[in-house]
Amino acid sequence: MNNFRILAATDTAVGHLPHFMLGGYMLLLVWLCYLGYRKGKATEEDYYLAGRGQGTIVTSLTIMATFFSSAALLGIPGVVYRDGISFFLFALNLPVAGAAIYLLGDRMRKLGKARGYVTPADLVGDYYGGAEVRLLAAATSALYVLPYVIMQIKAGGYLAQRLFPDAPPLEFFGSSFTMYETGVWALSFLTMAYVLVGGMRSVAWTDVIQGILLIFGMLVAGLATIAYFGGLGGYFEAVSALPAKALSAPGYSDKWNAGMLFTICAFASLGSIIQPGQWMRFYAAKDSGTLRKSALVFAVVLPVCFLFGIMLVALGGQVLFPPEITAEGIIPHPSIGAKSSEVDQIVIVMIQRVVPEMLGITFGAIVVTLILIAVLAASMSTADSNLHALSAVLTRDVYDRFIRPQADERERTWVGRIVIVLATMAAVALVEWSQKAGAFNPLELISQLMLLAIAFSSQLLPIAIDVLFLNKGSRQGAIAGLTSGIGLVLLLTIKPEWSFGLTKIVHVSAVGIAANAIVFGFVSRVTKKVPQKRIDEFRRIIKAKG
Amino acid sequence: MLKTRLSKILALIFFFALIMGPGPGLYLVNPSHDNPCSTTFLGMPILFAWSSFWFFVQAGVVLVAYRKLWAKSDNLEE
Repeated sequence: MNNFRILAATDTAVGHLPHFMLGGYMLLLVWLCYLGYRKGKATEEDYYLAGRGQGTIVTSLTIMATFFSSAALLGIPGVVYRDGISFFLFALNLPVAGAAIYLLGDRMRKLGKARGYVTPADLVGDYYGGAEVRLLAAATSALYVLPYVIMQIKAGGYLAQRLFPDAPPLEFFGSSFTMYETGVWALSFLTMAYVLVGGMRSVAWTDVIQGILLIFGMLVAGLATIAYFGGLGGYFEAVSALPAKALSAPGYSDKWNAGMLFTICAFASLGSIIQPGQWMRFYAAKDSGTLRKSALVFAVVLPVCFLFGIMLVALGGQVLFPPEITAEGIIPHPSIGAKSSEVDQIVIVMIQRVVPEMLGITFGAIVVTLILIAVLAASMSTADSNLHALSAVLTRDVYDRFIRPQADERERTWVGRIVIVLATMAAVALVEWSQKAGAFNPLELISQLMLLAIAFSSQLLPIAIDVLFLNKGSRQGAIAGLTSGIGLVLLLTIKPEWSFGLTKIVHVSAVGIAANAIVFGFVSRVTKKVPQKRIDEFRRIIKAKG
Repeated sequence: MLKTRLSKILALIFFFALIMGPGPGLYLVNPSHDNPCSTTFLGMPILFAWSSFWFFVQAGVVLVAYRKLWAKSDNLEE
């Protein structure tokens, strides 16, 4: 049977049940959105932070679901499929990020609660004073959010292509939309709708459902792959027969050397856990215990989902659908796709092959649908958090401070909603452009977008550590450090050859952080420190209970 | 943050796991032309076994910190 037509085949086996499941999932999201709207209050704090009262289950699952982007189910398995087992070591960044949820997140939460912060820039801007640090922190947040939203929306397109491979283009108001475009629009519109209406409460509640689906999807896909090969012994025997290049670092593309993997695990992990969406989740947590438990769940459950779930699927994909190594690069098996960027689709193809083998066509089709919905959930749960965070950043850090400081809370919340609509439209336009782009296409691979976004958010790390632990920096130091870090990451992303090979040995986020920290430290030494009174006040809040 | 002996030991183990797992330590087991050691360990690809082992070390450190350090610091604050 053709690998991509399981759902079509179930039309005879279980009718249109899988399609109803997809519809049911979307209706559930709409219902949660409605509930969030009903429970919400018309205040900025409630719209952006759900009243700062989120408990352990919601906090841990919303942090995980936000972290679990389409990269988790498409991009990262795509890299394992392309490069082999060396990328398994990437999963060791997750316990680092998990520990940071408590070590950094709890201090952020305490400061946020005591001083009414909503965005990351609120905290660093208040500590260092002046408008420049706030604007730079807001710019860093925005630079992180846009690539992340783009890659989630792309995933919606991929999924629609795979779910409905034979569907003709949809005609709508005289325009024709391919399945890819329909998926992009559907994911964007639905996500935008529930963020607009329900704010953080709806986002977090939908994240709970999406987080559960993701854990289920990643683990069941891994189990089905192992079962397909006849158990663990058969699986390991099959993958051990792969070419040596697939079983060793730096992998087929020669990218994953120890320096690269170490800097991703040590620095990019922290960058991704202090992204604006996560930072706001720390503010929204009820108390220290909530973040402590969330940190433990994250550090243990997430790596298990990767190492013993989805990564096994992708490596098994190398056995069933061996990629072709050519002079031009690594080309996926024709069943996966024709272009090198289509390695991202390995999980979708694999589950459609292995799950029905394990569970039979009927039940298998239901489970395949659930896993495909999990892919959709991964994209939506990250897109919603990032759109929501971008709305807070642009409204509070830019509109409220520099455009209309006299705006009241109600006006700011509405401006936030307009930002969400505009950001969604901009992201869809970029995805459409990317799809039609020729040879130059910087948005091609989901994993590249993820690592670029993380490189930007990592630049908040030196000043975050200073505010939360060291208290040695100055405002001028923070401005100079952030400018150097962001500037260097931008420069080396556009012109990687200007790093003289450095970005082939270490990740660009670490290069940016190093430049940022050195400049920050040096300038802070020769300029006026933050007033001692403010440092004492911050220390008092961090040490206080609650 | 690193005030007690236990916190220092845990931080050291965690950092060591990072150096050994995804860091330069991986070249101790990495099958390559320069280091033609076995590609498998107990039937598993050796890098899979290596990443799993260091994950369990990291997870163990987080678990001990959760039980012995973080809960205590929360209680002290309260």
